[in-house]
Order: sequence, then C-alpha cells, then structure tokens
Amino acid sequence: MMDILIYGTVNSVTFSLIAVGFTLVYGVSRLPNFAHGALYVLVGFMTWSFVNDLNLYYPLAIIISLCIASLLGALIYRLVLIRLRGLPTSEIIASFAFGLIILEGLRLQGIGGFKGFIGPFYVLPAFVDAKFRIAGVLIDAQRLIIIGGGLAVVILLWLFTHYSKIGLSLRAIAQDEQAAMMLGVDSDRVAMISLALGAALSGFAAVVILPLGNVTAEAGYRVLIYALAVCIIGGLGSWGGAILASFVLGFAMILSTSFFGAVWESVVLVGTIILILIFKPSGLLGKQKELEERV
Amino acid sequence: MLEVKNLMVFYENAIAVNNISMTVTEGKITGVFGANSAGKSTLMRTISGIILDQKKKQEMKGGERITVLGSITFAGEDIIHMKPSDRARKGIILCPERRRIFAESSVMENLKIGGILATRSQAKKTLDYVFTVFPALKELKKREGGFLSGGEQQMLAIGRALMAQPKLLLLDEPLLGLSPLMEQMLVKAMHGINKQTGITTIIAEQYARPILPIVHYGYVLENGGAVVEGTSRELMKNPDVKSAYFGL
Repeated sequence: MMDILIYGTVNSVTFSLIAVGFTLVYGVSRLPNFAHGALYVLVGFMTWSFVNDLNLYYPLAIIISLCIASLLGALIYRLVLIRLRGLPTSEIIASFAFGLIILEGLRLQGIGGFKGFIGPFYVLPAFVDAKFRIAGVLIDAQRLIIIGGGLAVVILLWLFTHYSKIGLSLRAIAQDEQAAMMLGVDSDRVAMISLALGAALSGFAAVVILPLGNVTAEAGYRVLIYALAVCIIGGLGSWGGAILASFVLGFAMILSTSFFGAVWESVVLVGTIILILIFKPSGLLGKQKELEERV
Repeated sequence: MLEVKNLMVFYENAIAVNNISMTVTEGKITGVFGANSAGKSTLMRTISGIILDQKKKQEMKGGERITVLGSITFAGEDIIHMKPSDRARKGIILCPERRRIFAESSVMENLKIGGILATRSQAKKTLDYVFTVFPALKELKKREGGFLSGGEQQMLAIGRALMAQPKLLLLDEPLLGLSPLMEQMLVKAMHGINKQTGITTIIAEQYARPILPIVHYGYVLENGGAVVEGTSRELMKNPDVKSAYFGL
C-alpha cells in the first residue's frame, strides 16, 4: 500500500515536471510548443556529450545544456513562431517540425564523423547513488530528487510569477494581452522569455528524470504526448489543473500496474484521458476564458 | 503635448476616423464626445498604438485590412509607427473601454502589474496616492478582479493606469454603465487627479453632460470626423451640441 503511495507520487511529480514547461508557454502566450519533447531529449544528449566527450564536470554540463536549451527556445520564437502567432495550426506544425529536426538530427549518422545517438548506450549518472528505506519501502535517491526537484520548481515558479516584474508581465499577458501592452509590457519579449523558460524547464525535467533510464531520441515523442495529455486533462493553460492531472495520471498508472500488471499501463492511461474528457471536455480545471462581463 | 494631424483610420473600406486633427494641451483635460461608432474608441486606440497590434493580428490571419494615415506627435516626436509598449514607456497610458481588469489577479496584483514600468519608489508613492483617491480599493486589496462591481473595476482600471506613471492618460468611456452616484464620484476623482498631479488627460465619453464641466477643451465626433470643437463653455452654448449630445 505504502509503495503505491510513494511510487505514485514519484510518477505524478514526473508528469508534472514534464508538463510544467509546456503549460507555462501555453498559458502565457497561447503557443503550443510541440518542440517540447525534442528539447527534453536534446538536453539529455548534450549533458551526456559534455560529460563524456568534453569531460566537463557534471553540474557544469547540466547548466550549460540548460542555457543552450533556453537559447534555442528563444530562437524558435524569434525566428519562426513570431511570424505565426494567432494561427494555432501553423504554430503546431512549425514547432513540431522544429522538434523533428532536433530529434531526427540526433540520429543522423556520418556527417563530420558524427555517429548519431542510437542504441541504449547513453546513460546519465545519478546525482547520488544511494537507496533509502521510507516507511518500509525501498526507494533510490534519484526518485527522491525528482520529488524535491518538482516541489522546488513549483515553489520557485510561483514566487517568480507573483513577485518579480518579469513574472508579473507573464501573468498579465496570459490574462489579457492587449491590456498588458497598454501598461507597457512588450508582448513579443515576454513570449520569447516564456519559451526560453519553458525550454529550460523541459531540460530540467530531463536531467532529473533521465538518470533513471537510457537517453533515447524516441523518448522525445513520448514526453511530448505526456505533456499534451497532462495539459489537456488539466485544462489548457491552467497550472493547478496540470498538477492535478499529473497526480490523476500518475496514480492511475501505478494502480493499473500493481493490480492488473504492466501491460495495462498504457491502456489505463489513455482510458483515463478519454473518460475525463467525456465528462469534462474543457479539462479538470479548464476555465471558460470569457468571464461574465460586469457593467 | 500631443498633436494629432489629419488622422485617418480605415477598417477595410469603412472609415472609422476621418481626417481628425486635434491638439492636447499639457496639464489639461481634453474631452472627446460622440455617439456609438463615432470613432472615439478607434481614436483612443490609435493614439495609444493598440491599433497597430490589432492590425498586425488581422494581417497574420488574412482578416480585416486596417489602415492608419496621418501623424501623431507626442512631446515633439512622431509616434505613429511606434509599438504600443514603447508608447507606454514614453508615458501614453490607455485605460481601455470596458476596463479590461486582469480578472484572475487580485486588486493589489492588478496595481502591481500596472506598476511594471515604475521604479520601486514611484510605485510605492503612486500606490499610496491611488488609495487616497479611491479608499474603497484599499478595502478590496485581496479581492479578485473578476469579482469587483463595475464601479470598483473602473476605479481599479484608473488606479492601474496611474501606477504606470502616465504623462498622457487616455480614459476610454470611464463612465460606461455606472450608476449616477458612482458617475459623480468618478468625475470628481478624475478632476482631482488632474488637478493634483497635472497629468494631461483625454476622456472619451458618449454621454458628455457629467464630463463637460471638468474638460478644458472638447471635440465632438460624428461618423469619424470632428464636427464641433471648442472650450467647454463654447460647447455648452452650441445649440446643435446641446440638443444632440447633452440632452438639454
């Protein structure tokens, strides 16, 4: 029983970490960043490469990778998405294309001696190699770091969006873009910042989650789907909803695994999504954007 | 302070602002009056630059073509192509029609967002000032913007605009849908703000009667063009204006 609770929480926080970057970008600038999963994987490979090819110190490699990822996020906005804002289909196609370039690019072989990241050889080291016993359940340090990292991200983001000027501009743009502009907020600059931040968050998720397994390019697609699932179930753009949805999915997965076996995992996952959407099409905490007008 | 010359705004082929020229004197209140669809809001949106954002979005969608011609000079600089956020930085702050409060943010947070352009000490000083002008807001600090009444929202909208340290404050239909009592209170507040801070103000209103006594100079718009202009006394005396707009 206790192991369901603990591993369920780990699962849920993993979902939240994966989805938080996507939700942030969508909530602020209404841009669905379909390159999200690709950025996640890219950070994994970059970090691996910095550590193993350039022999960089592990934390330094992580920081450099996160910086590159946020730069790339900003670049995606500056070069492509800025021309497409307000056209949802084009935004999806363009950002997904960007993601494809990254993911398939990682698997390219033979250009300039590049061997391509293929196969199960790429593993990020765990931060701390230890196992603990909590309430009788054996758990490794990396999973505890995931929980701690998730908690830290949520708290820091909350503080950032409520107390810093840039954070307040993000919230202003998310609620009423033009009203924010009237008060001097530069919408393009804020959208670029949100993408950079979203990319960094997706990278952060990668460096805390990936040590549990291999880094593979295919994971990029799965991560994107998870992020989308969490955001849609939670209600697009709603932060609280995304966290709630992560817990629903995280526990649905662990329960199905422990009661029906691992084969049912993906069926239960998809089933939960469909069930929630049938009963609440706008997602768990999805709001009608138009608030009743008061005159 | 602000000089609008031969301003024309088209939505596709429909003319919304027709060859308007106006001068706004520093430190005074200028009124813009007219019925629905006379072009008041378009004029305000053009001065604040928000129309450029609207134009950009329509162009991306391949929607309505918006054309802006003419010149707007603010503090000696032509600003007609300047981005709205840059205009706000220069001190042109629009308090929009229907207020557009940030509904999910508290009153306090709305004011904080208003103060994004202000320095810390400016923000603190202005916040105190806003609470002296609208003591009701102080009581409602924690209330979410979406749960305020219309009058409270209007006070918040004006307060939020003041937080942005305006040099030119544009108030678009500040009395829309308010009770006569609230109307009276807001007119007094707007007059007081202008007197105490000397912020140059433009007020666009459909119903001129309560506003007219506090304006220095006014323009009456009809079908996008300025048909009558004059000091508030001249406007009050004009028989056409009287019967058509003031209900006297």
